[in-house]
Amino acid sequence: MTTTVSEQTPSGSPPSTPLLSVRDLRVRFPTEDGIVKAVDGLSFELQQGEILGIVGESGSGKSVTSQAIMGLYRGTRAEINGMITLDGVDLLTLRDEELRKRRGEDIAMIFQDPLSALHPYYTVGNQIMEAYCVHHDVPKQAAREKTIEMLERVGIPSPAKRIDQYPHEFSGGMRQRAMIAMALINNPRLIIADEPTTALDVTVQAQILELLVSLQQEFNSSIIIITHDLGVVAEMANDILVMYAGRAVERGSADALFYAPEHPYTWGLLSSMPRMDRLRLERLKPIRGNPPSLISPPSGCTFHPRCDYRDDARLGCSRIVPEFDASSPHPVRCLIDPDDRKTIFETDIRPSL
Amino acid sequence: MFAFVVRRVLVGFIMLFVMSLVTYLLFFAAPTDPARFTCGKNCTPELVEQNRKALGYDKPVLVQYVDFVKGVFTGREYPDDPEVAKTAPQTVVHCPAPCLGYSPLMSQNVTSLLASKLPVTASLAIMAFIFWMVLGVSGGVVAALNRGRFLDRALVGTALVFYAFPTFFIGLWLYIYVAIKWQLTPVPVYTPLTQDPAAWLAGLFLPSLTLALIFIASYVRITRAFVLETLGEDYLRTAQAKGLEKRKILTKHTMRASLTPITTVAGIDLGVLLAGAIITETVFNYDGLGKLAVQAATTFDLPTMVGIVILSAFFIITANIIVDVLYAYIDPRVKYS
Amino acid sequence: MITRRKAAGLTALVSTGLLATAACSGTTAPSQGGTSGGSASATKGGTLYYLTKRPAEHLDPQRIYIGRDLANMNRLVYRDLVSLPISTDLKEGTTPVPDLATDTGTSTEGGKVWSFTLRDGVKWQDGKDITCEDLKYGFSRGFAVDVLTGGPNYALAYLDVPQKNGLPVYNGPYKKAGQAEFDKAVTCEGKKITYRFNKPWVDFPLAIASLRFAAPYRADQDKGDQSNYAIFSDGPYKIEGTWKKGVGGTFVRNTNWDPKTDSDKVRKALPDKIVFIEGLTNEIISQRLIADSGNDKFAVTDRRIPAALFSQVTGNPAVQSRATLVDAPFIDYVLPNFNRMKDLKVRQALAMATDQNAYITAQGGDKFGKPAKSIVSPALIGYKDNPNFTAPPDGDPAAAKKLLQEAGVAMPSPLRYTYNGGTSEVDNAAAGMKAAWDKAGFTVTLDPLTDTYYDVIQNPANNKSDVVWGGWGADWPSQATVLPPLFDARINLTEKSNGQDYGNYKSDAANKLIDEAATKPDVQSAATVYNQLDDQLGKDVAYIPLVVQKFYLLRGSGVTNYLQTPASNSYPELGAIGVSSK
Repeated sequence: MTTTVSEQTPSGSPPSTPLLSVRDLRVRFPTEDGIVKAVDGLSFELQQGEILGIVGESGSGKSVTSQAIMGLYRGTRAEINGMITLDGVDLLTLRDEELRKRRGEDIAMIFQDPLSALHPYYTVGNQIMEAYCVHHDVPKQAAREKTIEMLERVGIPSPAKRIDQYPHEFSGGMRQRAMIAMALINNPRLIIADEPTTALDVTVQAQILELLVSLQQEFNSSIIIITHDLGVVAEMANDILVMYAGRAVERGSADALFYAPEHPYTWGLLSSMPRMDRLRLERLKPIRGNPPSLISPPSGCTFHPRCDYRDDARLGCSRIVPEFDASSPHPVRCLIDPDDRKTIFETDIRPSL
Repeated sequence: MFAFVVRRVLVGFIMLFVMSLVTYLLFFAAPTDPARFTCGKNCTPELVEQNRKALGYDKPVLVQYVDFVKGVFTGREYPDDPEVAKTAPQTVVHCPAPCLGYSPLMSQNVTSLLASKLPVTASLAIMAFIFWMVLGVSGGVVAALNRGRFLDRALVGTALVFYAFPTFFIGLWLYIYVAIKWQLTPVPVYTPLTQDPAAWLAGLFLPSLTLALIFIASYVRITRAFVLETLGEDYLRTAQAKGLEKRKILTKHTMRASLTPITTVAGIDLGVLLAGAIITETVFNYDGLGKLAVQAATTFDLPTMVGIVILSAFFIITANIIVDVLYAYIDPRVKYS
Repeated sequence: MITRRKAAGLTALVSTGLLATAACSGTTAPSQGGTSGGSASATKGGTLYYLTKRPAEHLDPQRIYIGRDLANMNRLVYRDLVSLPISTDLKEGTTPVPDLATDTGTSTEGGKVWSFTLRDGVKWQDGKDITCEDLKYGFSRGFAVDVLTGGPNYALAYLDVPQKNGLPVYNGPYKKAGQAEFDKAVTCEGKKITYRFNKPWVDFPLAIASLRFAAPYRADQDKGDQSNYAIFSDGPYKIEGTWKKGVGGTFVRNTNWDPKTDSDKVRKALPDKIVFIEGLTNEIISQRLIADSGNDKFAVTDRRIPAALFSQVTGNPAVQSRATLVDAPFIDYVLPNFNRMKDLKVRQALAMATDQNAYITAQGGDKFGKPAKSIVSPALIGYKDNPNFTAPPDGDPAAAKKLLQEAGVAMPSPLRYTYNGGTSEVDNAAAGMKAAWDKAGFTVTLDPLTDTYYDVIQNPANNKSDVVWGGWGADWPSQATVLPPLFDARINLTEKSNGQDYGNYKSDAANKLIDEAATKPDVQSAATVYNQLDDQLGKDVAYIPLVVQKFYLLRGSGVTNYLQTPASNSYPELGAIGVSSK
């Protein structure tokens, strides 16, 4: 998959209030083995009409973040601290009922595996109409028409027939389109797409991403697209947020992150991507080491055990937790001096990409 | 779908015949002489021999079986003696087709015998079914929704305790303490529904509860397991993400998915129960198919045994077919191969 | 009344033809001290409940052979020419009184011919008169043994019809064969019926009174085997609806029964309704009667109180007052196998060492029974203790050992005891006896058999048992139904079976006494000869007596006039019983 960076220009100067603002989000799960710190101090903002890509490996906390935003941990044993404001309203302090009303209407989610995310016993039409009827008091017929319209909009052929079919009768790509229809039918301001293409064929992936982009443009909604695949965010995102061990480690525009990344982890991600457009001269270079334990994460910089450039003696990588300035345009959570980082990138990393 | 059902029904018929043949073979393979049991108190070898002839047990087994099968289609006469038919026709039993045989130990033809016992067993089975579905399933749902908490542990623990107790112990205990000593209920006696519905219901309470207790125990556990499994499903998360109310998620999405496998299991359990609850019927002295089965087995009453085997098999086969069809209706992913 | 016939087969069976199992099917029995329960005087009306376990196998009069049913049906629905009266007195209770007949019958030709005259006014439940033909027809049904199975077969050996292959040529009213011969042996003259036998049958009236094989039967009601549970009554009650095997049935008053043609000494018919409930376990029946609530206040039972519940009865005076303990018709004993235990002294040693009390204690103690002094029940006519059994109830191991030494056998002498096992009580009883025998110098191997007990011990090829267990109840109160059937080798021992003579006992002296008894003109004089026979058996140690069983029975508090009589086989006497109004 080619890594062409999106040609889109990031939206210019930010409007007055961001659509979504996440401040110092912490999500903890108490387990028998200890407390799992899935998200440990995450902050970012999202403007209306923007696409943010959240990238990281498994266990980085990206899905947990999205589910925390949706409030899907309410009533579970998870402990959530921090602030999540949508249009100025703190979702974490909202009453259950209030939050429920916003779900599906203001924020919608698209899940990774549409086969398991859709109820096998009900028709696709039934489930999409349900999403609509929860938030709109309309007669069945009206909901049905809206659903058919939506199915057509997402590119499903013969929608009037398909509406009465069951999820298992759809192909993978069609199913995901149906999920997208379900998410968008209420015209939400924010769409969270959690690994929407991971379960699909490569050729279908491109179609789905294209669909998402065109819909976003049409409805002017914001999208958070969560993935471990850099190629996916290269296509669509304005900004990219890299997460590691429950924290943000780097954020920047798509351009900045692909052409001038500054965090060793991001370097590692970029280096470990297979490239189809170059000769294969050497083996893939994975990031050495294993993902950290979220119960007892490494002290200091959580990435330091796997970092090739750490310098304990001089920088104190194993003792000091590097800061992350969320207000800066390209924050990097790293103790290495910024100039040094740029140098390392130019000399070591860039040639091998 | 029609073809599927027809095929299953045909296979079922074949199974019934095979089972009746096996019963015949097993019966005659047993070491005890069945003719002894009609012989009465003072049984000499000569009397036994005479009775064996009168019962038709002196013919080769396969001949007897063929006669039996013929009788199913054409009916039979007992005794099959042309002289008696002339001199004492009023003593000849006409067993119309389908003739499952005539039991000399019950002095009745097997079909009417089974028909008279069936309502008792059916009443017991249905009442027990209602008990265990209501108590067992709701208990399991409550336990699953309160997973890990005291209520969950209490329900599962209680279920395990009842699971461990043998039916005859529970039945006898209930009979002696609840009915006799504490007099909380009248002594359980079976009254036909057509005779007195209130008495029918009252009489069924203790025995069907006894029968249901083991099922309740197991259904609490399997319902809990099914519901928990469903609770972990992604589509529930989707429903929540859509903004559905909790109650709606529970009823429409969770229950529908978790209860459908249970209803199919229950269907089969009910089919098996219709064949007779031997222990419960014996403890409470309910004159159903189970008690008849014990009687037939201990007195070596071949015609009755074959009749019961066929009837039980019929119920189980039918229950299986119905459950399979039902499942296809409920779960759209299931197709008939 | 036993002949010299050697015929094996049905004749053998028939002339002895008695009960191989101890559990039930005894007939007349004495009750020693059957109490008159209930303080209320005889009250008419109400419903009596009879709680029982074992389903009635037959309610066809020619097929009934269980003691409980023989007695009950006589009192409720099947009158006979003569019946036994309601009386707890041993003598009065075992002397037949006229029932359907005008008197207790006249016999001629030394007891070979018996005549009875039917009373006037006796009717069936449909109002038709009972006729001599009905009596004849009923009697004839007993010969259709291949259809009407399970009943007593005495008539087949006694009736004066030709025999072929050990069976009479007459095979019952459903076939034509031998009808002419039968019609010559049983004749009707107006209301007078005459039976011709091929040998004297001095206790024929006792047999009629105790069994139901001579009861009249309406030919138009006869459906052969299908009539098994069809009750067509001439007694004070009739069946309401149908009888359901394993469930029971309800009896209501028969309005065509005229009490003036019956006797208060046989049927008082006090309750309006009698409900039989079958299939209940002993435990449940006893618990219900102890609780004595609801309809169980008016209930009786034939089932003994289980040993586990004794304390609930004896410990509670209110319950204890509703329990009775009477002698039952059954005797338990053991039989030395004469094919193996050939030495008289060894048999005597065995008898001396036998611990009757161990046998009794293991099965319920004094509520189970008392030590027996003969294989003959103390209730039978002319009973005498057998003087040869001198051992105390605990046995006398020292004396037994001495006998063994005198016999010169090597000690410990091996002994294999085969018995009808299956319950812990019976096994404990056997263990108790083994302990005593072992102390006397035997070494006993216990051999409990369960389902196939009689099949095994009746088979002469079974040559492994040294001692076998047996139990017996007399069919009617004469020793003729005990000693000859069990010890006459001529009618028992054949190639294929030892009949009821499980010990393979054979004695010319005994046979002579048997034949002599058969010639006596009346039951009492025959009894004297049987006493001599018993003495001979005791001298030979043909058997060793164990226990006279007892019935420990409960009843509800609303039951009145409660008795247990010889006529009722020591079960509740339904001829006398009543229920109070509350």
